[in-house]
Amino acid sequence: MILLGKIALGITGTMLAGLGVVCSEGMIEVNVVERQPEVHHVYVLAPAMLVPIAAHFIPRRDLTQAAEQLRPYMPTIRAAMSQLRECDDFVLVDVKDRDQHVEVQKLGGSLVVDVKDQDETVHVSTPIRAISNTLEQLAAANSETTN
Amino acid sequence: MRKTTQVVGVFCLMAASVTGMAASAMPAATERYLHVKVEDAKEGESVNVNIPLSIAEKLIPTVNKGKLHDGHVSIGHADMDGIDVKGLLEAIRSAPDNEFVTVKQKDQDVRVAKSNGNLIVHVRSTEGEKENVDITVPLKIVDALFSNTKDGDLDLVAAIHALSDAGDALLITVQDASQHVRIWVDSRSNAE
Repeated sequence: MILLGKIALGITGTMLAGLGVVCSEGMIEVNVVERQPEVHHVYVLAPAMLVPIAAHFIPRRDLTQAAEQLRPYMPTIRAAMSQLRECDDFVLVDVKDRDQHVEVQKLGGSLVVDVKDQDETVHVSTPIRAISNTLEQLAAANSETTN
Repeated sequence: MRKTTQVVGVFCLMAASVTGMAASAMPAATERYLHVKVEDAKEGESVNVNIPLSIAEKLIPTVNKGKLHDGHVSIGHADMDGIDVKGLLEAIRSAPDNEFVTVKQKDQDVRVAKSNGNLIVHVRSTEGEKENVDITVPLKIVDALFSNTKDGDLDLVAAIHALSDAGDALLITVQDASQHVRIWVDSRSNAE
């Protein structure tokens, strides 16, 4: 009985530690509410660490063109991501017209995009570290195959 | 002797803790933002872009395309030919506040002046689509921009650095019949 308890404790501890590692880079949150023509609500909350891992499994040959186009901009992207992580929260872009409001902001360690109009509301929050890691992986794709 | 050493030790400890407390109480450098706001009353639209100057300062040197390279913009020697820009700036800086240029045309008035350490340009269009343009640039920023003109370059990074050291400033306003554009710098993270 004690042995079973120890095994259960070990499994639970391992699961919690694994969960902690998977969630260590924050969570990606997508919330879409459609009001017209029918009401739909989509809510996804996923560990951000899964995105660069998923990018790892994309066939390299399919990423060649994307990687070539992305690579020249990587120094700028790296500088932007690094500074974004360090700076305070701020609203980067705010666009309003009669029926739509779009806001892109840095909030905590994430980039948050909110779009609101009469028909739908979209909220996407992505940790900056995950964006950075994913772009690094995409940019490195071609060089790995050619090396 | 031993007592003196103890007193000196306690004094040093107190000094160190006071210095530490003072350092921790010092406010961190305030982030400054470049704001661009475009409002179109006719269309009911507004666009705000807020860029932390620290990001701009780090980002610009990484862009090497066209005339922009390593945080500089090449304007070429031809544009500077025969003009001692630094001498010109020094003359403007040392001159008292004054209106330097006034051009009055049938459809447009242009004024260039110096006031409170700022270079000011006003353009008023009086015919057709009436448009007012006001540009206020602190001379420190102009100095920084032209700090490395020997290669025919404008130093954008130095100008941004000078901008972040300068106080709150309204740099550019453009107003026409329906649109209003404002560009300014302050320490607020949004344009409201």
